[in-house]
Amino acid sequence: MIQQSQTLRALLPGDAGAEGAQKTALAEIDASCRVPVLFFFISGLAWLLAGTVLALVASIKLHTPGFLAGWEWLTFSNVRTAHLNTVIYGFASQISVGVSIWLMCRLCRIPLPAPGLVTVANLFYNLGVTVGVGGILLGDSTAIEWLEMPRYATPILFFSYALIAVWTIVTFRLRAERHLYVSQWYLLAAVLWFPWLYGTAQVMLLIEPVRGVVQAAVNWWFAHNVLGLWFTPIGLASIYYFIPKVIGRPIHSYYLSVLGFWSLALFYNWNGMHHLVGGPLPAWMITISIVASVMMLIPVITVAINHHFTMVGHFGKMRHSPTLRFIVFGAFSYTLASLQGVASALRSVSEVTHFTHHTVAHAHLGMYAFFTMVMFGAMYYILPRITQREWPSNGLISLHFWGVALGIILYVVPMSLMGFIQGTKLNDPTIRFLDVVQFTLPWLKLRTLAGLLLAAGHAAFVVNVGWLLVRMFEPYRKPVVRILTGEAETLAAGKQP
Amino acid sequence: MPVIAFILLGSVVLLPVVALWALRWAAAAGQFRCPDKAALLPFDESEPVGVETDCILGGNRR
Repeated sequence: MIQQSQTLRALLPGDAGAEGAQKTALAEIDASCRVPVLFFFISGLAWLLAGTVLALVASIKLHTPGFLAGWEWLTFSNVRTAHLNTVIYGFASQISVGVSIWLMCRLCRIPLPAPGLVTVANLFYNLGVTVGVGGILLGDSTAIEWLEMPRYATPILFFSYALIAVWTIVTFRLRAERHLYVSQWYLLAAVLWFPWLYGTAQVMLLIEPVRGVVQAAVNWWFAHNVLGLWFTPIGLASIYYFIPKVIGRPIHSYYLSVLGFWSLALFYNWNGMHHLVGGPLPAWMITISIVASVMMLIPVITVAINHHFTMVGHFGKMRHSPTLRFIVFGAFSYTLASLQGVASALRSVSEVTHFTHHTVAHAHLGMYAFFTMVMFGAMYYILPRITQREWPSNGLISLHFWGVALGIILYVVPMSLMGFIQGTKLNDPTIRFLDVVQFTLPWLKLRTLAGLLLAAGHAAFVVNVGWLLVRMFEPYRKPVVRILTGEAETLAAGKQP
Repeated sequence: MPVIAFILLGSVVLLPVVALWALRWAAAAGQFRCPDKAALLPFDESEPVGVETDCILGGNRR
């Protein structure tokens, strides 16, 4: 059964009985989330645009080093680092929080308590990211991967994040629905894991730094777990909610979903040290990480089976649902990224792919093809509900999807292949290093082309969101215009003799 | 050093304890008892099972 114009249907009370009451309750929940979630989405998208520009500049500099060479604050190291921090902390984290707030309220079946407090947290968070990215561009980077923001930005970020985490837990405690859905497990775990990771890494690397190779161990424990214990749970929570919700079919196996959650919780935390294969660490530490990485096959396969069997017979619905399109693309990419990650963790593979563009491709497969695509899908579902407006342009939705889908495929596939060849050449002592660099140049130009496609997709999405917001404010704008016009007419009448 | 010891202790002791407590609470609260009920939580009377909720592309919009 297909309900048409259903994005708004659930928001429009009017039917009598339980269904009408339910619609009213949903409308109340969506209305309570409107301001804070919109703040997180809008500021997240602003950072996405900034991050995209920085990514393009960094990408062009890789094959044309003279590009913008006269600006000392736009050196490759500054731009690349600023790109990473804008997209991770500015874009991805903020969209994650927005989606988490909405999902938690919907699944707890209560309106967001004190939404103003979450909005204040958002303002502080953006202040923190602005100070952090500005500091990076001014040369204040800490030079610690994924923790490059200068120390003076960290307390602001930590304070606002703590406020958000506490508020998520408060919402959970006040829930009207006592039974938990698997998405809530993932969301709760993510909001608890992130401050633990961020706080521990800050103390052990910046506030009271540990010595020697332990720094590298802590650094990669943090950097890898940010992906696996912050972004991945929120991405999976969204997939587990939106696929059943959009197609109108419960998840294939709830037991399997719970098994996936607990096995992720058990194994992911150990993975980070596989980034240090060949490094001067005790071999057992790296071996444990490799074993845990291989054990990740359990949650990955359970999730893949569950998503696939839920979707069987419903793949055709992707033609009509932008949410489903993005989410299924993201879910498929999660399986691919995880399998690539397991393979890359093995010593024999890492010896080739480490220090090559293969790692960069893998990071984008996980962070973009999986996580970002799922977040786009979630926003396509949430925004019409909280603004009570339909998407203004289907053409822009299609442009967004095909721009980013083709862009990320054109990015990941050639870069993975090129990275592998690059690694093989680097390991061959008869090939000069400069020849290996020359070999990468055409591939890096292809990467810039992929970046342009991604940028076009982002621009289409931002225009559509802006248009949606204009429509949302239309009823507020018209009375103002009428008042102003009326005043003008009165003034004009007063001037008449 | 005391700060690091505190954090390491927290990581090694506190987190597994919290995880075990969460698992025990979930089992005691019956969270694993009715998987069929839990799987239906995204749905309600206004958006029940069998109803698509995001069909806006491909000319099917009314």
